[in-house]
Amino acid sequence: MSVIGKSKSEALDSLRKQLGRQIKSGTVLLQEREQKTIRLVTGLDGLNASLGGGLPQGQLTEIIGRGPSRGGGVIMAALLSGARSEGRYVMLLDIGAGFSIGSFPEKDLESLLWVSCDSARQAVEALDVATRDENFPLFLLDGRDCDPSDWNSVRAQQWYRILNQLRQREAVAVIFARSEVTSATKHRLELVSRLALDDLHQERETILSRTRFQPLRRVVEEQEEQLRVG
Amino acid sequence: MRNAIREDQVGDHALSGYAVVWCRDFRLQAVKRRRGSGEPAALVDDTQRQSIVLCCNALAARSGVEPGIPTVQALARCPQLQVDRPSPAAELAAARMLLEGAFGWVPGIEETGPGILTLDLATEPPAQWHESASRLHDRLAALGLEVVIGLGETPALARLAAQAALHAGIEVWHLRREERLGKLDQLPLIIAETGANLNDKLRLWGLQTLGAFARLRREEVAARLGDEGVELWLRLTGRLRRPLRLAKLEQLFEAHHDFDYEVRERDPLLFVVQRVLEQLAGRVAQTGRAATAVHFLLTFADGACHAKRLALPEPTLDPGLLFRLVSGHLDAFEMKAAVVALRLRFEPSDPVASQKTLFGAGLKNRHHYEETLKRLRKIVGNDRIGSPRPVDSHRPGLFDKAPLPAELSDSHRSSQARQRDCGRPARPILPGALSQGAGPPVTGPTLRKYPLGFRTSVQLRDGIPLRVESSRVSGVVTAWAGPWKSGGDWWHQGQQWERREWDVELLNQGIFRLVETGREWLLEGYYD
Repeated sequence: MSVIGKSKSEALDSLRKQLGRQIKSGTVLLQEREQKTIRLVTGLDGLNASLGGGLPQGQLTEIIGRGPSRGGGVIMAALLSGARSEGRYVMLLDIGAGFSIGSFPEKDLESLLWVSCDSARQAVEALDVATRDENFPLFLLDGRDCDPSDWNSVRAQQWYRILNQLRQREAVAVIFARSEVTSATKHRLELVSRLALDDLHQERETILSRTRFQPLRRVVEEQEEQLRVG
Repeated sequence: MRNAIREDQVGDHALSGYAVVWCRDFRLQAVKRRRGSGEPAALVDDTQRQSIVLCCNALAARSGVEPGIPTVQALARCPQLQVDRPSPAAELAAARMLLEGAFGWVPGIEETGPGILTLDLATEPPAQWHESASRLHDRLAALGLEVVIGLGETPALARLAAQAALHAGIEVWHLRREERLGKLDQLPLIIAETGANLNDKLRLWGLQTLGAFARLRREEVAARLGDEGVELWLRLTGRLRRPLRLAKLEQLFEAHHDFDYEVRERDPLLFVVQRVLEQLAGRVAQTGRAATAVHFLLTFADGACHAKRLALPEPTLDPGLLFRLVSGHLDAFEMKAAVVALRLRFEPSDPVASQKTLFGAGLKNRHHYEETLKRLRKIVGNDRIGSPRPVDSHRPGLFDKAPLPAELSDSHRSSQARQRDCGRPARPILPGALSQGAGPPVTGPTLRKYPLGFRTSVQLRDGIPLRVESSRVSGVVTAWAGPWKSGGDWWHQGQQWERREWDVELLNQGIFRLVETGREWLLEGYYD
């Protein structure tokens, strides 16, 4: 019996060693997946650089401006313009119906579907439905006028479902908000520059070139660190 | 010569060809097709005082049953005889099945009679006719319909060939041009379906076969037999042609279902709807068309009806999609009485009209888009979704919500995007490098509006804002621009508006738009 047990344990040890060489750890797999992620190149150098090449497809990306006049609207307009020139449809989920048509070139509106939402919860519910549709490769969730506490009414599992749907469709969702929205977000950028009154007459490319991003710590890294600490 | 006889001798018709699909004892087969044909069977007419046999199959005929005899006599001659009444519904279903199968072969089809179709084979090479005919025969046999198919260079010769096939007991009979006379020599006169008088005369002349008659000279036939003889001569020599009265495809696009019992619940109704939709979709698929709309009509036990046309965003035959369309409507519909009948009809598509542009981008799946829209409308409301379009007004902020175009125009697409469509790699697009096609160029940051605005108290010095106080934001004005005065609609009583806009930068807050309307100050939004 002991002989059999010994041979078994030796066989197990041998198997573990072989598997250890062949099977990658979860961290390595995540890193590899991160490297393989297809990105939607935006044409905004600062944004591309901060996101490692562009907006990652199949992911949620948060762009946070802690107050008005940080440049979030200009980035949104640039994303819309880029999508139109690429012949892609965009869905804008507008919490608070603050959309101002005069701020966008008329040509860029052709591929835009605007959805006005009352609350963060309603907008996320709409996003949950919309991300199942393969017609839209880009979703913009405009929550700049949302109170940070409004996002608490959204269930975490709904965000993860949306994330899963984005992955399946290889779509991109960008959330514009005043503060952190969800832990399902993999990339979070903070707009650190401020606009001045003189910018009202500047070309948008000039404003965009001056817009500064501060990449916040990525959520995955945070979770991994927590695991390590734990 | 009678007007009905049309001789068309001029021209080379070597490439033309016709097929006649003949379903023997069609009315009987329509009723019996699902019950097998291994037993003697007959259809009887019992609407008269004395029930009589209308038609019977070959097994019954072998026992001495024949059309016209009393049913009692038929049962006496053949005790195993299965007796049925004619069923118009079954005949209609069988006729559609025949038509549907034939449409899978060629598009030009005439319904010549009950269970008889004449097909124009001009769209198919002659080398494939026999094989296609055999395929159609097998397909119909699988559906319980036994047919024979005759092929010939004219409709009349194809019918003759079908009669010959019936006579000989074979599936497909091809009467080729080069061997026509030889084959007609094998066929008795009765096959030509001529009157008894003509047959008797020919028999007296010693003519036994159709080939022998076809060898006669036309003048002699005309002198001795008149119009009837000439018509037969023209038919046999391939000189009698006629245009086909083509069947309309729409006949295939409709289905009717009478419930055996009154349906009060939605689920059994949906079950039948799904089944009927699948059948219709399968039938229409064979015609190469699709549905652009579904018409459905529900008939209720109290005599009321509910009809609805449900338009599809794009032609389709996806049964799941069509079912979701109908069931979505029925879910919202309240049935006040039991349903007794259901009629469904597909509106056929025009394939040319749905041709897409070569390089234009568009919705990948319009059906899915429509479904998404419906669901979003349920969440946010009907009037809160759309593609924003400016309206012809100077009043700021007004816009229409138009439907999202299914195809995006190519003029605003970048050359890179077009290259991508051609298989070349795409390069990033600079927002500023885009064409400024429609509308004036837009500069500066975007305005984010507060839908109702915030009533604001503004402290002025020399008419210029110095400090702003509101429930949303308060602060000292560090820079300002304005005022810009605008107004309009003074020509509409009660709709006149006038405003003075200021753009102000508040210390450590951002850039805001203030509006002075004469009565009050409003914080309208901020630049971002």
